[in-house]
Amino acid sequence: MAASMLNRRSLYFLLVSMALITLPHAWHMPWPLFSFFAAMWVWRFLAVRRGDWLPKRWLLFLLTLLGIVLLITQQRGVFGRDAGTGLFVVALGLKLMEIHGRRDVFLVVYLAFIVAASQFLYEQSILMAGYILLVCTVLLATLITQNTAQVATQAAIKTAAAIILQALPMAAVIFVLFPRLEAPRWMWLADDNKALSGLSNTLEPGSISDLSLSDELVFRVRFDGEAPPPAQRYWRGPVYSRTDGVRWTMAANHNQPTPAVDFSGKAYRYTLLMEPQKQNWVFGLDMPESFDASLRLNRAFQLLSDKRPADRAEYKIVSRPGYDTGPINPADYRDNLQLPAAASAKQLALIKTLQGFDGPPERFIQNLLNHFSRERFYYTLTPPLMPDNPIDTFLFETRSGFCSHYATAFVYLLRIAKIPARVVGGYQGGEFNRVGGFLEVRQADAHAWAEAWLENKGWVRFDPTAAIAPERVERGVNVDLQIASGAVNFGPVIADSAALSWLKRSRQLWQSIDYNWQRWVINYNGANQMRFLQALGIDGIAALAKWLVGSLLVVTLPLVWWLLKKNRKPADKTLSLYRRFCDKLAKAGVAIGQGEGPKDFADRAQKQRPELAARIQQITALFIRLRYQADAADGDLQKLKALVDTFSVKKVKQD
Amino acid sequence: MNAQPLGLKQRFKLSRFVSGEAPASGPIVLNQRRVFILPTRRGMVFVALIALVVLIAFVYNNNLAYMLGFLMASIFFVTILHSFKSLSGLVIRPAQHPPVFAGDKAMFNFVLHNPGDQQRVAIEMRLQEAVPISLQAGETRSVSLPAATKKRGWLDCSTLTLSSCYPLGLFRVWSPLRFDSRVLVYPYPAKLDLPFPETAAGQGRQGQSKRGGDEFYGLKSYQSGDPIRQIHWKAYAKGRGLHSKQYAGSASLEFWLDYDETPGGDVEGRLSQLCRWVVDAERAGLRYGLLLPGAKLSPDCGIAHSQACLRELALFGLAR
Repeated sequence: MAASMLNRRSLYFLLVSMALITLPHAWHMPWPLFSFFAAMWVWRFLAVRRGDWLPKRWLLFLLTLLGIVLLITQQRGVFGRDAGTGLFVVALGLKLMEIHGRRDVFLVVYLAFIVAASQFLYEQSILMAGYILLVCTVLLATLITQNTAQVATQAAIKTAAAIILQALPMAAVIFVLFPRLEAPRWMWLADDNKALSGLSNTLEPGSISDLSLSDELVFRVRFDGEAPPPAQRYWRGPVYSRTDGVRWTMAANHNQPTPAVDFSGKAYRYTLLMEPQKQNWVFGLDMPESFDASLRLNRAFQLLSDKRPADRAEYKIVSRPGYDTGPINPADYRDNLQLPAAASAKQLALIKTLQGFDGPPERFIQNLLNHFSRERFYYTLTPPLMPDNPIDTFLFETRSGFCSHYATAFVYLLRIAKIPARVVGGYQGGEFNRVGGFLEVRQADAHAWAEAWLENKGWVRFDPTAAIAPERVERGVNVDLQIASGAVNFGPVIADSAALSWLKRSRQLWQSIDYNWQRWVINYNGANQMRFLQALGIDGIAALAKWLVGSLLVVTLPLVWWLLKKNRKPADKTLSLYRRFCDKLAKAGVAIGQGEGPKDFADRAQKQRPELAARIQQITALFIRLRYQADAADGDLQKLKALVDTFSVKKVKQD
Repeated sequence: MNAQPLGLKQRFKLSRFVSGEAPASGPIVLNQRRVFILPTRRGMVFVALIALVVLIAFVYNNNLAYMLGFLMASIFFVTILHSFKSLSGLVIRPAQHPPVFAGDKAMFNFVLHNPGDQQRVAIEMRLQEAVPISLQAGETRSVSLPAATKKRGWLDCSTLTLSSCYPLGLFRVWSPLRFDSRVLVYPYPAKLDLPFPETAAGQGRQGQSKRGGDEFYGLKSYQSGDPIRQIHWKAYAKGRGLHSKQYAGSASLEFWLDYDETPGGDVEGRLSQLCRWVVDAERAGLRYGLLLPGAKLSPDCGIAHSQACLRELALFGLAR
């Protein structure tokens, strides 16, 4: 374990790979922890040339204390992703200070592999996978350089890359066939501080405005067959029934059994790939008819998942656009007529003019929608603040807002008119990815609409935002996208940009690759694996084991052959040809002796096999010229090859 | 080379792992029968590391972490091949092993040949001390492995081990090889600088040649057996052929080194003294003969003669 065993280059290699492996953590680690590591790293880097700069034992002790204090103050808890990552990174920083021998290099490199694994707990994109692959190459190169000082830096990296490339096919086979089991629930380590955005439990007009600006992907949908027209693409999410006039929340009794639904219309079959979420909400197309066993439909017809929301998950769902939810039960009726206070005079007057109290509900609803369209209501993503009495402020003063304002005001008025109504949150539209053939739904597509319960029809969807006249839509921040994707239908659809620019096309190509990556790699879980393996005809552990062994052999045997073949092949072509010639003679009983020169051997062989004399002489002469004389001609090697190839010796009977 | 096939029983004999197969005299090719491979302690820790990464993947249900774990497992496997590759195919044959005096380091010389088109690095050859070696593609190089000598006679080459942890240090490949090479160990030359003995046994032969000594006498054409130090190199360099310088002087007497007349307590002591005299006489360019019980070498000089004398001394009383 002498320090002399460590060459300086190996140390630099080690430091570079440490920097690469921890760098991505800079974005999601508390900055004091990362700064601690960075300081240790810089210190160690400077000390490569100046060994006396390394901390003495007492200082190292203090540094360790500092690290522990930082860990305790910056992290809550000992277990879990964030705590574990912090611990490993701080340990790595401290260990850097204490590299004395090869053993320490190994330890640090091994720690780095764990840090690499923890990287995937934060991000699983293709780019991250590629990055980690690169880091692994540097880590292996570090091991190679510390093994020997004789290898050039480039050669070390090349060897490391070769090892990784050769290992990849095998890793892929294991990846596909290694049985995936769901970890038991007690092992789920909660990390509440993950910054995931999405629709929230409550709706306060204004809370969605942030979402409208975010380009973040929420889920992707691949339809088996035709996709529904944009106007029907309502992805149903949380349903807000209770309100205090300002804030809307979900009703408490949503987990009761779902009422029976009478479906009609075309059935759309699709696969939904959810990105990591905060909630276990799954946004099914309005209205889901049948779905995976891991999903359930709550009383408000919202899909909920049993899976961990922080993981990507794939669901198969069938939805139909036509539905009749039947009669309303008393609890729902009560919930969906609930109002925080008595209606104001202005509200009553408005409803009265719109025939809310003396006609069929359908007519009132139509009148109300027309009211939004006729009067000077504006659509804006930056509405004025309405802290008190937002419904009245919106309806009678500001008259500008976005989907949540319209939906809440609409529902509020309906309830005053004794029509059960509620606000539905979710997403509308989505951008069709032509390359991948799937629909991408982003946070910008977040939407809120209304539902009213009508006699003999059940819950019916109304979208008051869509009623606004197109000229009053503020051409604001991100509306282009919403219009293009059909998120908001402001009258005639403004032309879907027909000519996709190359930028858009490449973006879609990338999205498509990413989709397939998510779908086939990230989301390859137990259920998907079972489906995939069954398609291959693998059912049961025995068959799986056979397949695993079989495919590993298929992958490794060519590798073994290829790797070991290189060893046998002599560097010299002339020599290898000559050896083949000798082998042929040896088979016929004329073996070249130890230390026998080609000339002597030729003489002996000619005596033993006079019928081959001419050929032996020719080959030997050519060989000698090629190997020992400077005047070999260009074609000589080919000539020798031809001669050796056609050289054949018949065995002579020994009697 | 590796001709005879192994029986099943021999194949699984444990001693093959440490001491190799029966000694060989010719070249040995390192093939799968000769090369052994086992994970190092670091390799074992690496396996534990793989398990840990897969456990993390399992707990977090993270497919890329799984992939990393599987990749590491595959790297582990591929490294077996690379490790094997770092030794397999090498050809090693014994070369000349020059005799030494007891107490000096014996040098076992081997010629190592890398027939493949790949560089081999970080190979360690060990007889008693480790010698690091690297070989270019197609390179042939000779390697001297030191071994301590204690007593005169034949020193057999013990098991020679080639090993390597290249490339990642997760595995150690090694190949124990035994050659029937041996080094002749001359007796330890006595420290005491005693004068040459009075020649008693060879009196009758005095005066045959007065040449040899410290005064330059003339040149004669070289005859094999003439001491190398007396060759007139300058003349040779000028292209005039090999000539030996002739010396004449008082010390040019020839004499006998007689075992029975040699002081020194036991057999080894006497041999040691005789050895010293042979070396000194040869260095001085004298003519000397050796008389041992059962062996007699007539007075002469030159390297061949001194080596013959030393050989007699080394093997005196031992099985040849």
